[in-house]
Amino acid sequence: MSGIKLTGVSKSFGAVKVIHGVDIEIGQGEFAVFVGPSGCGKSTLLRMIAGLEETTGGEIRIDAEDVTHKEPSKRGVAMVFQSYALYPHLSVFDNMAFSLSIARRPKAEIETKVKAAAEILRLTDYLESKPSQLSGGQRQRVAIGRAIVREPRVFLFDEPLSNLDAELRVKMRMEIARLHRQIGATMVYVTHDQVEAMTLADRIVVLKAGVVQQTGAPLELYRNPDNMFVAGFIGSPGMNFLKARVVPGSGDRLTIELHDAPGVPFEIPARAGLAAGQEIFIGVRPEHITLGEREGGVGLAVTAEFIEELGGTGYLHALTTTGEEMTIECRGEDRPQPKQTVRLTLAPEEMFAFAGSGERLR
Amino acid sequence: MTSERRSKTLTAVLMITPFVITYLTVFAYPVYKMFALSFTNAPLIGEGEWVGFDNYLKLLNQKLFLTSVWNTGYFVVLTVIPNTLIGLGLALMVVRLRGWLQSLILVLFFLPYILPVSVVTQIWEWVLDQQFGIAQNVIEFFTGRRISVFRDPLWAMPMVALVTIWWTNGFNLLLFIAGLRNIPADYYEAAMLDGATRWQCFKRITWPLIWPVTALVLTLQLILQLKIFDQVYLMTEGGPFNSTYVLLQLVYREAFRLNHGGIGSAVAVFLFLIIVTVSVLQYQLLRVRGR
Repeated sequence: MSGIKLTGVSKSFGAVKVIHGVDIEIGQGEFAVFVGPSGCGKSTLLRMIAGLEETTGGEIRIDAEDVTHKEPSKRGVAMVFQSYALYPHLSVFDNMAFSLSIARRPKAEIETKVKAAAEILRLTDYLESKPSQLSGGQRQRVAIGRAIVREPRVFLFDEPLSNLDAELRVKMRMEIARLHRQIGATMVYVTHDQVEAMTLADRIVVLKAGVVQQTGAPLELYRNPDNMFVAGFIGSPGMNFLKARVVPGSGDRLTIELHDAPGVPFEIPARAGLAAGQEIFIGVRPEHITLGEREGGVGLAVTAEFIEELGGTGYLHALTTTGEEMTIECRGEDRPQPKQTVRLTLAPEEMFAFAGSGERLR
Repeated sequence: MTSERRSKTLTAVLMITPFVITYLTVFAYPVYKMFALSFTNAPLIGEGEWVGFDNYLKLLNQKLFLTSVWNTGYFVVLTVIPNTLIGLGLALMVVRLRGWLQSLILVLFFLPYILPVSVVTQIWEWVLDQQFGIAQNVIEFFTGRRISVFRDPLWAMPMVALVTIWWTNGFNLLLFIAGLRNIPADYYEAAMLDGATRWQCFKRITWPLIWPVTALVLTLQLILQLKIFDQVYLMTEGGPFNSTYVLLQLVYREAFRLNHGGIGSAVAVFLFLIIVTVSVLQYQLLRVRGR
């Protein structure tokens, strides 16, 4: 398979190991996003693919070619940096033409390629400007243009939108998605923002402390997380976790009761087999909780703390009777008041069960 | 509102008054006096009579003056650009070092700069001593003989320049290090991905981005080296055969040794005008080039 393949890739800085034997396969033309909290090693991993960081162990292949110890320029990758890394003394044209002029390509070729890239990125009117005369979004586009001009096998993006304001970030996200459709190259994108990951990726790689937690399509991770970390990280706002206890049941499904609703046993979508009395965690997404009491669900009473109002929807932040924090999505006109006791209904079918270690119980 | 503004103005005036008084008494007035004296036949102390441009005309016919102008120019050529390039070269090497090693090397290079000129010249008189100087081994290796460098008209000025570069280079190095540290590492990483060689990185990224610092160092050096006096006075006293005689030394000779306050001032005015013209011109030129 062409694309990128990492096999047992690891990285140590002195005695500190930051990447622990990562295996990832990214298909040709796929848009892969490495996501995780800061310090999880996602940028390091990207820089290792680029060749800017030495690989301590394992193997990196691009289009089946072993590039583990190759020079960055020999790997056929182009990178868009978080800071854009535009040369302030060069015009937009010269910035975009940098790699070609380094390689001493003919003038006509440079001009054609730069102009074509500028066309794609709507930068034609700014080719003579200096980076300092451009807005954040335009600079970002120049940085992408510099990558396009090289016609690389792989595009690498290192948190490219984190220096932009929220509105521009949404716009640029769409631009990057459009660009990917247009040129169809393999792209690897690093971000700590799970919304970016969800909206852009064909495949998301969730990392934590240098270990891959789960790899899969955005909806797959959302619907079927492997552990509590992925469940909590993917989806916005994050999943609620409630303590629960296994109770004796009759069917093949696990029967539990919530610490916040003792004496109300119910079955959840996980195999039975755990000993009664065992402590587990239950995950419920804010969007899967309804206000008020409904037939067939599990009722829960919480105390409203405050409402995060977004207009169409609002997020109720509340505390359960045992003091667990919960976030509940409120649609429509219905908004509880702070300090008010609110009845909720949780649908057991929408629940995820996790062992005490955080592993998913299926 | 008006009274508030008035009190603000009063505070501002009060705060700048000490500076203005100091500036006027120890800078502006002496400078004015120097210009005024240069048109008189005043001795070192006391007033003289107005002689118009006589002092300047006398200077133009004085061989020692022309020699001094030439030698000062020669010294500037020997020091300004080499000192700047050496500073940049060392900075490029030092900036690659990390942690305590970088600090240590930086301290070692900066150390000469904090030494007083008398100590510096003493050190180099020993180093270059014809009989015992360690540098004589190098000179002998290249020329086949030991040379009393400060008594040889061919060698004297280049040696004074060498001592000056050794003495002052640490400061240039420091300025360049600061400039180089301001260039983000991303620029080089992006260039690496583009396949730039080390030379291409220097030519296309480092050199243009460090240019403002280079222009500053060149200008500071130019001003400093045009004012050469101490090293020459301590090592050669202008000799041998006036081969290291420089403009400030001529000021000293005319004013303090020959009691010609007027002519001394005329030389000083001449040097002042050269420094102002050349440094302003150079800085403007360098800035334009930088753009």
